[in-house]
Amino acid sequence: MGISIANLVRHYGAVRAIDGVSFDIADGEFVSLLGPSGCGKTTTLRCIAGLEDPTAGSIALDGRIVSAPAQGVLVPTHERQVGMVFQSYAVWPHMTVRENVAFPLTIRGADKARIEQEVQKALGRVSMGHLADRHPSQLSGGQQQRVALARAIVGNPRVLLFDEPLSNLDAKLREEMRGEIRQLQRRLGIAAVYVTHDREEALSMSDRVIVMNDGEIAQIGSPRELYHRPINRFVADFVGKVSFLQLQRRGDAWLIADGTTILTRGEGIESSTALAAIRPENIHLFHSMETQEGKTQLRGRISQAHYLGPYTEYHLEVAGETLRCYAQEDFRIGSEVIVTIVQDHLVILPD
Amino acid sequence: MGVVPDMQAQGRPLWSSDLVLSLLYKATFLVVLLLVFMPLSALIYGSLRTTAPGQPVGEWTLVNYANLTSSGVLTTIWTTLWIGLAASALCVIIGTALALIVHRTDFRWPRTLTVLIGLAFYFPSFIVAMAWIIIGAPGGIINAILRDGLGLEWIEFDIYNPWGIIYITILHQVPFVYLTIRGPIIHMDATYEEAARTAGATPAKVMRRITLPLLGYSIASSFILVFVLSIEQFAVPALIGIPGQVTMLATQLYLLVRFSPVDYGLAAAIGLALSAITGAAIWAQRRITQAGRLTTVTGKAGRVTPIKLGKWRWAANFFCFGFIALALLLPMAILLYTSVLRWFTANPFNGIYTWRNYIFMWESASTWSSFWNTLLVSGIGAAIGVALGLLCSYFTVRLKPAGHSVLDFITVLPFGVPGIVIGLGLLWAYAYLPIPLYGTLAVIIIAFVTRFLPYAVETVGGQMVQIDRSLEEAAWVAGATRLSAARRIMLPLVAPSVQGAYFLLFMAFFREISAAILLYAADTKIISVSIWAFFEQANWGQASALSVAATLIIFMSLLVIGWLVPAGRRF
Repeated sequence: MGISIANLVRHYGAVRAIDGVSFDIADGEFVSLLGPSGCGKTTTLRCIAGLEDPTAGSIALDGRIVSAPAQGVLVPTHERQVGMVFQSYAVWPHMTVRENVAFPLTIRGADKARIEQEVQKALGRVSMGHLADRHPSQLSGGQQQRVALARAIVGNPRVLLFDEPLSNLDAKLREEMRGEIRQLQRRLGIAAVYVTHDREEALSMSDRVIVMNDGEIAQIGSPRELYHRPINRFVADFVGKVSFLQLQRRGDAWLIADGTTILTRGEGIESSTALAAIRPENIHLFHSMETQEGKTQLRGRISQAHYLGPYTEYHLEVAGETLRCYAQEDFRIGSEVIVTIVQDHLVILPD
Repeated sequence: MGVVPDMQAQGRPLWSSDLVLSLLYKATFLVVLLLVFMPLSALIYGSLRTTAPGQPVGEWTLVNYANLTSSGVLTTIWTTLWIGLAASALCVIIGTALALIVHRTDFRWPRTLTVLIGLAFYFPSFIVAMAWIIIGAPGGIINAILRDGLGLEWIEFDIYNPWGIIYITILHQVPFVYLTIRGPIIHMDATYEEAARTAGATPAKVMRRITLPLLGYSIASSFILVFVLSIEQFAVPALIGIPGQVTMLATQLYLLVRFSPVDYGLAAAIGLALSAITGAAIWAQRRITQAGRLTTVTGKAGRVTPIKLGKWRWAANFFCFGFIALALLLPMAILLYTSVLRWFTANPFNGIYTWRNYIFMWESASTWSSFWNTLLVSGIGAAIGVALGLLCSYFTVRLKPAGHSVLDFITVLPFGVPGIVIGLGLLWAYAYLPIPLYGTLAVIIIAFVTRFLPYAVETVGGQMVQIDRSLEEAAWVAGATRLSAARRIMLPLVAPSVQGAYFLLFMAFFREISAAILLYAADTKIISVSIWAFFEQANWGQASALSVAATLIIFMSLLVIGWLVPAGRRF
């Protein structure tokens, strides 16, 4: 049954932190809330945990309503049985690792033998069993993160909540932890909500991603849907590098600024202007024209080149606009190139 | 489902955590409200009455406020202001200079000097004043040397004048400036100064153009606080000003209550006028610190290359240790000397030495009782003050229930109210209360707790805001109620600051005289008042012996604190 959120609203005075957010998350599903700072993703998560009180709407965990201001329902945080990992880890410095992980059980009065067993299991799952008697100040950031994780999963919570848990770790550790968190959640089979502003994290870990902007949901979809079929400029821009071309309608065709017709899949946009969104890896550069079915070919000029190792990122001037693309071949700055885009890789978005 | 007992199944306990917390909040609010507003409203009432507290006849009047503009009172206000301004300006200059020498040059004994200045900070001002009166009074040591030693009959040195007050105030308050400016100097981002050096500025220019301007807010804030401390203090202007007929507002208030012609109404009006000045100053200081916080100098504290003292080393040493000699070593030596003399003489070779004063102290029941009273007031009072401060900060910093900003405002108010004014307000308030509190130790504890509540709140609250909010939230998520999260997470984490606040209040209560001077009765004398009384009776020997004992207790307590609370954090 997971998590079910309907029309969630949270206002701070005149500021609308969340403005009508609805989504459902099934048991075992891993969903990320992705968006820039101030988009309402963290507020949404904190409402689920009960750390903030929503202004309107409803939240149900495992089929039980925990928050519905209209009906006067508000289950306090400590009765919600959720597991949460905080950005700052929030591992209590005055307790050992074991005491930290045991806390959710001791505070609820579980019996001793059971606590010992559950703590061992949770610590084992994050490979921290050997450090159980350390104090947090004796642990590295990554190890503290694991303790926080163990504390969140101990004693079978209904749902798991993550508030940008990896943002304080270095890049290498972050990638390692992504995989571990996902594996752990799969094994537990409960719903997980993961707040992040890192698109790589969201795309690589999630079953579905909810992109938020300005307190509203911009798009919900699988990572592939969001990346390849964004429904607006914001989502296209937020989930990956992208270039845009301004389009004008002429009859059934779309024209760029210099009058060249581009080939599209003819998505249902009715307006007279639109945007074409193209990912940099989908632009191919050639020295000369070669007619091919289903491909748009445009004349461009290399204006910048950034060598990045596996490939070079080029900035191209095309019809007065700038496109970014990746290529392994070398092109000189200033050289004229032919820009080729497959019709399927060109997404038409409302202007 | 899992091992976690399902909370739905259980009924809510009769005493829910939220109910307990809301009751605690209301109780805290009420106690603080009573503590702060009872003396203040009693004072306002008193300033509008024609008679002394407790007397049935009397009517409403504005004459007390009219009397504030009489030439006598206006002179007092003027004296208070100029002494306060002169003392704080000199304090800030000397204190900042000391701090810069210690932390920005290659001065050789930075740790020793900081420890000595710390001791001077805890050295009670009335003891410093007494020692310097023994040195500088007309019958004191300097005149004896001038007259008997050098035969200069025509010079008479006299400490009983405004500059005497300023001088003692400087000796007592410079450590405060040093300790408040030191932090900002140490934590200042070194790159600002390094950038100036690479831009071609000499070390002296860096100091003038970069370091001092960056310290501007801290210096201004320190100046105002010292100004407030200088005009609200009672002991120094009383010991030096009353014999020299230099009257400041705090002493005028005291004289009006304790000596004829008694005028309680005018005393109340003066108390309110003094509070208005200190309150306005504190308000300005808070504005400055807030403005300063925006431009505050933060960053990783690095070590700047120290300025080489070179040929000025002797001058820096002379300045630093000279100050310590005048503020700490010389007064202590004089008190030790006076305490073992049978009759006071400036010439140690003529002295008849005796343990009489110490023996008398040991055998005197009233001295023992005043020591015992002081320990009770300091020990219990500090505990009450810290408990109240802890509750106030938890509500104003963490839970923030409705009305928390009002509570925050009320707890800050006593900062602006001088000790003797709180004493007078309580004197008035308890004359009308049905509970016979007047003349008890309880009333002294109430006065001290009220006066130092802001210090407890600042110390505990200061650490509480630094504790990441998510530590408590994690406990709620883990199933802890607010109350048990506060007890199991917050309380252990703020324990160091609670300990610190306790010692701060203990030491403050041990030295406090101004809030007690109008409230003590024969059997509720505390040690500071006893010393004061002996000195007033010109019993220098007895006063010195008691001072030596009190100072010993203070310094021993500091030792214990240093031992109990290690400098590093516990976690």
